[in-house]
Amino acid sequence: MKKYTLWIAGGLGALLLLLVPLYFKSTFVLHIYTLTFFYIGLTAAWNIMAYGGNLSLGHASFFAIGAYVGALLYVKLGISPWIGLTGAVAASFVGGMILSMPLIRLRGPFFTLATIAFTEVLRLIAIDWRDLTHGSAGLNIPFDLGWLNLTFKSGAPFYYIALALAVGSVWLSRWVRYSALGYHLRAAASDDQAAEALGVDFNLVQITALLISATLTAVLGLFYAFYSYVLEPATLFSFELFSLQPALNAIIGGMGTVWGPVIGAVFMTPLGEFLRFYLGTIQQGLNYVVYGIILIMTVRFFPGGILSLLTPLGVRFKRWIGDTGDNQ
Amino acid sequence: MALLTVKNLTKKFGGLVAVHDMTFDIEPGEIVGLIGPNGAGKTTLFNLISGIVHADQGSLMLAGKSLIGMRPCHRSRAGIGRTFQVVRPFDMNVLENVMVPALTRTRDTSKARKAAMEVLEMMGLAEFATRSPGNLTLPQRKRIEVARALATQPKLLLLDEVLAGLNPTEVAENLPLIRQLRDTGVTILFIEHLMDAMMAVAERVLVMDQGALICCGTPREVTSDECVIKAYLGEEDPQC
Repeated sequence: MKKYTLWIAGGLGALLLLLVPLYFKSTFVLHIYTLTFFYIGLTAAWNIMAYGGNLSLGHASFFAIGAYVGALLYVKLGISPWIGLTGAVAASFVGGMILSMPLIRLRGPFFTLATIAFTEVLRLIAIDWRDLTHGSAGLNIPFDLGWLNLTFKSGAPFYYIALALAVGSVWLSRWVRYSALGYHLRAAASDDQAAEALGVDFNLVQITALLISATLTAVLGLFYAFYSYVLEPATLFSFELFSLQPALNAIIGGMGTVWGPVIGAVFMTPLGEFLRFYLGTIQQGLNYVVYGIILIMTVRFFPGGILSLLTPLGVRFKRWIGDTGDNQ
Repeated sequence: MALLTVKNLTKKFGGLVAVHDMTFDIEPGEIVGLIGPNGAGKTTLFNLISGIVHADQGSLMLAGKSLIGMRPCHRSRAGIGRTFQVVRPFDMNVLENVMVPALTRTRDTSKARKAAMEVLEMMGLAEFATRSPGNLTLPQRKRIEVARALATQPKLLLLDEVLAGLNPTEVAENLPLIRQLRDTGVTILFIEHLMDAMMAVAERVLVMDQGALICCGTPREVTSDECVIKAYLGEEDPQC
């Protein structure tokens, strides 16, 4: 039946992704894949807030909270990161509650500025609280092999972990999009007053989206910490890497949609690494010039992102395989 | 017991008294019209009842329960549905627009989709379910506005000029709808400038002028009331 064509194509794609570590022994190639998966997860998590029309430029804070809580519980108390996950989720939940105060009072760019300020405050705390975080010098995760310690000899296990996280994040963001919460978020983004008059609790839906987004980002941060071994405030709280990049990925891929963030992350992450590698040696910051051009082109010529360019093709493809697709 | 009880309701915007000491009741199952010259405070009264602005003084009760201090979303869940004078569809298709309020009554999207479809059928919008509201005509968009309010399953429905901007044929088509809505058990308070429509549908008419309730009665009583004529046409010129 043609109806199953999409599922078969998806299954084949998944199978290919599972085989990648067996084919590519190069750590660099595996690293690019793993990083891309992390960014798919991060962008999908960021995008959950974007459903409600909120642009965060402070997701590095939740990423770093997850990373630091997981790593500190492990390094200082010897608690396995798998158990430390609950701590990371709890801490980012508290962080999300704090950020929800400006969320319900500020709109648009003013909230975005608050997210930047929030991250900056946490970054300064991480730098100055030397006893706990070792400050700018960085905190190292001891090399002690084992699944329980999330420490592996090869890059393959983390490839699979990151793949699972990416799939999970996209699944969660898709679930949110098509749940009552998703509809209410989109209504709130479209017209907050009309939404309220129709029974949508604006504050509640926005805070719920923020908390889901924040905790998911923290989970990704924890795994990233164990993937990179070293925790430095300059990296984890980096505005470019973990606050701006997810936003850029989503905008370029297609903000507020389920697949836009995936497309954006898959397109931008390898490109970013490539540009940093080749252009970064010519003149520092040159890669950002290229980024800027891509962003301007996107916003000017296809504000719906790459996904909006692909959608007509997708509709044709669905018609071709006989999927009328009028649900959702 | 009255469905809506308004007592001494007052709202000031700076020095302007938009709604001044209004007191009235609405009984369950009534169709009540609200008229008055431009700037009389009709929409402000709707905003006060639906909670978009808060009253300075007075009390508001729905079926004996006070609404004062409640946010619009909670008033909607308590049973107050409203439409906006300027249609404000969400940036999504017609069916989804109606699913948003339906999803405040159930968390189940398939149940909400079914409920929204039923409302769309009743409003004669079923064939446009997957269209974007931006592509529809004004009368159709006004119907979406009503459909959304209905999907909240209101006890009291506030309709703010749902007939304004429609041509006479469209008005004639839409008029029976108001009666039809009442027959489903909804109490209706509606603002309308078209007097013919008001006379045809309203069982009782409230007249506002400069924020105050100046007259209340059947359509026939209201149109012959001196205060009302004065409010609309001004003082009679003795020289004429």
